[in-house]
This record gives sequence, structure tokens and C-alpha cells, in this order.
Amino acid sequence: MDTIHDLGGKQGFGPVDVNEPEVPFHHDWEARAWALARAGGRPGLTIDWWRHMVERMDPATYMTVPYFEKWCLTDLVGYIDTGYFTVGEAIEGHLLTTPKGTPPKGIGLPELMENMRLSVKDFEVPTDEPAKFSVGDQVRTISYAVPTHTRLPAYARGRIGEVISHHGAHPLPDKSAQGLEVAEHLYTVVFKATELWGEEADPRDTVTLDLWESYFE
Amino acid sequence: MAASFDSDKAAALHRHLHSHLPPEPALRVKALESLLVERGLVSTQTLDSWVEAYTEEIGPKRGAQVVARSWLDQDFRARLLENATEAIKEFGFEGNATGNLKAVENTDTTHNLVVCTLCSCYPFSLLGMSPAWYKAGAYRARAVREPRKVLKEFGVELSEDVAVRVWDSTAELRYLIVPQRPAGTEGWSEVQLAEIVTRNAMIGTDRDLKTGAA
Repeated sequence: MDTIHDLGGKQGFGPVDVNEPEVPFHHDWEARAWALARAGGRPGLTIDWWRHMVERMDPATYMTVPYFEKWCLTDLVGYIDTGYFTVGEAIEGHLLTTPKGTPPKGIGLPELMENMRLSVKDFEVPTDEPAKFSVGDQVRTISYAVPTHTRLPAYARGRIGEVISHHGAHPLPDKSAQGLEVAEHLYTVVFKATELWGEEADPRDTVTLDLWESYFE
Repeated sequence: MAASFDSDKAAALHRHLHSHLPPEPALRVKALESLLVERGLVSTQTLDSWVEAYTEEIGPKRGAQVVARSWLDQDFRARLLENATEAIKEFGFEGNATGNLKAVENTDTTHNLVVCTLCSCYPFSLLGMSPAWYKAGAYRARAVREPRKVLKEFGVELSEDVAVRVWDSTAELRYLIVPQRPAGTEGWSEVQLAEIVTRNAMIGTDRDLKTGAA
């Protein structure tokens, strides 16, 4: 879908705020939103469905609310959609009719650090499908938007690039965002900047993208 | 319980919530926390531990240590460039979003820069929380289209023979840029070297590391 999140190459933005203080969080509520996203575990969701829910924010809201507020709003939408509490309860900020549960046992820092280390996940999945492309091949991306979540940015549609690595098969986000498990071969593709942006680009420069097989013609 | 995977339903819920919730983000987050605790999905202690982990324990110092070792130990450097996911396990730095990690080295003729134009993908367990500018529209929009202008805003001046490669990390792969070791650091220890590796250098918005700070 051509939703607002696809910002690559959009013009009209001002300078990057390079003088931001180097701290992990700028407000306590940001740290809390991060912790809620991690500790809550987002049960019943896939990462791609969660990303798609972010993308379905109203465009004006998407561009104006702070980053971690987007996470918070999307988590609320996700829990409501999945049935953990109601819209009315979200607005009230407390459960009203949904039965309360017993919180899980709390985890201290050392145990959390160890769990996190063990949680590292390689997303590659086995497949019997042979890869259609090899390193060095030229590929052309599809020219039009698809009606679902996708990870082919608009600026790279209908463009020719070269495969520089192959990563085996990975879940296709377009399907995973619909709750379907379909694996496809994933490649890193390099595009000349001039192929993407025309004469305004510096001919020395390139952009790489990690793209699934069905993103190619 | 299962998600509906109904895109339009999610959009309608977003519109309704945004117009009915209290406007302050802190209150919105408080509502989410109260609901998850009451529902029995999270414990307050675990939330506190997550905050502590990413405030006190995990940050760009981890990535800096990996880069420093890659400067001193050529075998480690080869392992890092071959398979960064495995290489950072030698430090115990694996975790959030580092399951498909790729390390990319800057050279005399190539400068690498990382962005996520579609959201804000970042190797959290290696570099900690991402900077606000990394998540902001200006960086996400401009880094792929005018990387040299963006680099200039960060104070990075590139010589004539340097090509810029922008890594738009929109799939499962996450990237670590390995900056070049600056001259004048001969004989330095891993700890000393790690001190001069900046967070921005590992994203690519810094290039020539300063040796004065160590």
C-alpha cells in the first residue's frame, strides 16, 4: 500500500537535527513505551502486521506524533484488535468489564539480560524452492504498489539493480502481515543512485535494499 | 486470541483512539501500562528491568568494542565481515534485532551509511536505542536521495574519490558500519580504541574518528 510511512526520497524536509543530546531516551514515557513493547510481547501478532498497523495511522497523525507515541498507539490498536481489552477501556485507561489477570512473575535485570541474549532470532527458514537469482544477476523491480504491506519502497519500483548477496528464504512480509506464512528467497540488491534519482544523483553513489523474490519482475 | 489482520479495521481504531485519548503521550503510555498490568500481561518489575537494560547496560559502547577488536585482530575482523551475527556472540552482545546482522567496512574510497526509510530498523542489542534523528522524517526521506548533503550536516566531508553507499535496511538484515582506524592510534589497547568509536560512526553519519578524546 502507498501509505505515509514510505518516506524514502520525499522532498521538502529541513535539516537533520544533528545536535540532539546522545541519551537513550529523551522522556521517561519513551522508555516506558519501549519497555511495554518489549515486555508485552505483542501476543497474537506478527512483526509485519504490527508494522502495517503503524502504517495505517492517519497520515497527519503519523507525521506529527512522537516516535514512541506511534508505538504506544499501535500497541493499543493491536491489543484491542486481538481482543485483550476494549476501545472504551483504552480510553478510560483501566479495565472496566474485561476480567483482570494475574501479572506474570517479574524478571530482574540479570535474568532479563540473559533471556534477551537467548532470544536472538535468525529469520531464515528452510525451503525446497530453488533461488531464481544469483549474485551478479541483474533484476528489475515491479513497477506498481501492491494492495498489502510490503517492503519494496516506492522509490525503488521499476528500477534495475544487481544482486550482491543471497540470504536464503525468509518470511515474505507482504503475507506475514496478513497472518500467512510464505517464505521467499531474500537478496541484497544494489542500485546506482542515478538509476533511482536520475541526473540529480552523484554517479559515484549507490543504494542497497534487501528484497524478496516476488519484488522482481 | 488472534489478530484480525484487517487493515481497514486497524486504520479505524487508530482514528478513534487518537481523537479520544488524552493528548499527552505520557498519559497514553500510562493507559497502555495500566491495561497490560491489569490484564496480567506484564509485570512492573519486568518493565523496570527493560528500562534499566537499555539505559544502563546496552548502548553504543558495545558496538565500539566490536569495532575496536576488528582493528586489532585480523581473524576477528574476517569473522565479523563474514558473519556478524555469530561474531558478536563472542562478546555476548546478541539479542534484539541482531539475528541477521551484517558488518560493512568503510575504505579509503567507500563511505557507508545506514537508514531505514520505511520505519526505523536498528540493531538494538549492539548499538542501544537509536538516535531521534534516525527515526525522524528528515533523515529517513533524505539519506537515500541526498546522502552527501545529509553527511555534510553531520560535519562529514568526503574527498573527491569517495563513493557513498546507502544501506536502506528495510528487511530483516541490520547493519553495523565498521569505520576506519584513525592514524596516530598505533599501540593503543582495545579499551582505548573503543573510546574513540562514536555511535554515529557505526551508523555512518561520522567518518574520520578523532583521537583527542582518548
